[in-house]
Amino acid sequence: MDFVFSGFNLYAWITILTVLSMFTVLLLTKLRADLVFLGAIAILFVTGVLNAKEAFSGFSSTSVVIIGVLFVVVAGLTHTGVLQWIVKHLLGQPESYSKAVIRLMLPVAGLSSFLSNTTVVALFVGIVKMWSKKLGVSPSKLLIPLSYASGMGGVCTLIGTPPNLIISGLYAEQTGVAMNVLTTTIPGLFCLFIGVLSIIAMRNLLPDRKAPESAFESTSEYTVELLVPSDNPNIGMTINEAGLNNVRGGNLIEVVHYDEFVGPADGDEILMGGDRLIYSGQIDEILDLKKTHGLVNADHYVFTLSEIDKNRQLRTAYVTFGSSLIGKAIGNTNFEKDYGLVLVAVARSGKRIEQSPREVVIQAGDTLLLDCPPKLKIDTSSLASKLHFFDSDQVPNIGKKTLISTTIMIAMVVLSALNIIPLLQCAFLAAIAMLVFQCCNVDQAMKSINWEILMVFAGSVVLGVAIQKTGIAERLAFGILDVCGDNPIVVMTAICFVGTFITEFISNTAAGAMFFPIMYQAAEKLGYEPFPFLVALMVSVSSSFATPIGSPTHMLVYGPGGYRFSDFMRIGLLMNLIILAANIFIVNIIYPLTPLH
Amino acid sequence: MNIEIKESNGGYYAILSGWLDTNVATEFLEELKTLEEHADKAIELDCGKLEYICSLGLRGLLKLQKLSVAKGGTLVLTHVNDEIQKILTLTGFIKLFNFR
Repeated sequence: MDFVFSGFNLYAWITILTVLSMFTVLLLTKLRADLVFLGAIAILFVTGVLNAKEAFSGFSSTSVVIIGVLFVVVAGLTHTGVLQWIVKHLLGQPESYSKAVIRLMLPVAGLSSFLSNTTVVALFVGIVKMWSKKLGVSPSKLLIPLSYASGMGGVCTLIGTPPNLIISGLYAEQTGVAMNVLTTTIPGLFCLFIGVLSIIAMRNLLPDRKAPESAFESTSEYTVELLVPSDNPNIGMTINEAGLNNVRGGNLIEVVHYDEFVGPADGDEILMGGDRLIYSGQIDEILDLKKTHGLVNADHYVFTLSEIDKNRQLRTAYVTFGSSLIGKAIGNTNFEKDYGLVLVAVARSGKRIEQSPREVVIQAGDTLLLDCPPKLKIDTSSLASKLHFFDSDQVPNIGKKTLISTTIMIAMVVLSALNIIPLLQCAFLAAIAMLVFQCCNVDQAMKSINWEILMVFAGSVVLGVAIQKTGIAERLAFGILDVCGDNPIVVMTAICFVGTFITEFISNTAAGAMFFPIMYQAAEKLGYEPFPFLVALMVSVSSSFATPIGSPTHMLVYGPGGYRFSDFMRIGLLMNLIILAANIFIVNIIYPLTPLH
Repeated sequence: MNIEIKESNGGYYAILSGWLDTNVATEFLEELKTLEEHADKAIELDCGKLEYICSLGLRGLLKLQKLSVAKGGTLVLTHVNDEIQKILTLTGFIKLFNFR
């Protein structure tokens, strides 16, 4: 291997190009992340960068297995209503915004330190929206704090967030010493404390936006589409004669006939079966036309009213990032037919959309009002990848099993924190206990395991191995030392700074896996024990506050909060810097730097 | 699209044929004016050779039907084929006309 360019050999360049291409593909295309990671591993294996053992090391990695098993433990907690119980008893009726932020962020952080951040936020989104109405605060003032709290809470334990497990797992492999499950607790709590204070201090940077689905309750900014069935008694009358022009709460914008001819909404147009009437106005009142004038929600011609199931219900859903609906008009897709849904209206953060909802080109974060069949399965992976339903979380009964599942979880944490049983075994025992005590059934347990995420985690670990093996980590570590000098705190800050911003665009886990070898090498080169450096890294790769794509939880609140991309930037960039400073400060106090022996 | 109008037995007999889409609808509506002037008489529209009718065309036929009723005449559609029947059923117009 003679080829060397800019200090990197051929294998290092293959790794660099693979990593760069992988993230370009992830950012610019809608390919599944697990496939992209798998493709990257395949390239590294086929080109000889990694041998078979290394290429598949991610799949046998302890931390990846723990993450997989924890999915089952969390399923047990979720299905027995632990989250719901906590939500019900903790939020209350605070008197001020500051108190509301504290009442919200602390329990969310507490839950996220043991459960998946996404699960916690998904549950809280709906509740916070109702709560904000009760408090008279715009939900956009509380939903970003909700998402931030889950991220900061996740950092507080090793099991709270995957990057912590990955970094601690890699540390254990390197040194043979396992980190305690509560290693990050004090730094995490301190950062959370600073984070809560910062949110309260910077509350004016949070937008005061109307919730998108309140638009569906009473505004005139949205369009609704209704269909005239073939047996409508008003057929043959003009729109005016039928009383369908200026209706209570809105106006007719256009009439689209069966032959797609768009008639003017001047009142003299003749009403025909199969017509689609596009209204703008107060959605709830316009929907009353279904009762008063025999109109229906439908994506296909309907001959009689009886063809529409009376038990269908309207539900609100948000278009997720990466949804295959983005960039398309629903009318040009098979989406409605595939799921038996009918798009009734589209809302986009306060903007009026002067089009038939079905012709609106969908954007991420749009709120859709859908007419759904009574037994629509909203948790299928194909539907969940497109939309997040506002009411998607089932509310289980709270009872004896709630207590059992909580005990299992606490026992797992305590046993591993006291080093009585290693975390992996603890996680397995807890998962088995959840099944034995029927906190969740086998089906629910299997469904709870997110294989796509696991594959990405495994892939991240393998990329970390490649970065280390090819000497990239060492070169980068030297490069950082060249720039930052030999002050360990400056080096720690610099790597954490880059980590914080990189994690805005790539998954926290991938950032953790890739920065681990760099941080480890840098610490060793400086002659210091890497442990505190890695704790600081754990906090920083989970501190992505500045873009909605920085964390899946941000995506969950993006639509419901009616946010724009820049809303996250405004407060998030400052939060990134504040938490970085808090992180470096507290880690150096709790885990003082010690020279290598 | 073609419309051929004849006087017969004191009334009017018109044969509609071809593809009546929005491109030719204005021309069709112009032709219908002749019949509208005689809406007080018996009018028969033979649709046997009509292959398609657009919403503007249907609108013209409905106007003629309403005029007939108002002036005491009659309008009958005859030899309606399956394609046209489908459109009339879909639009609910099937209940608004007399057929033979």
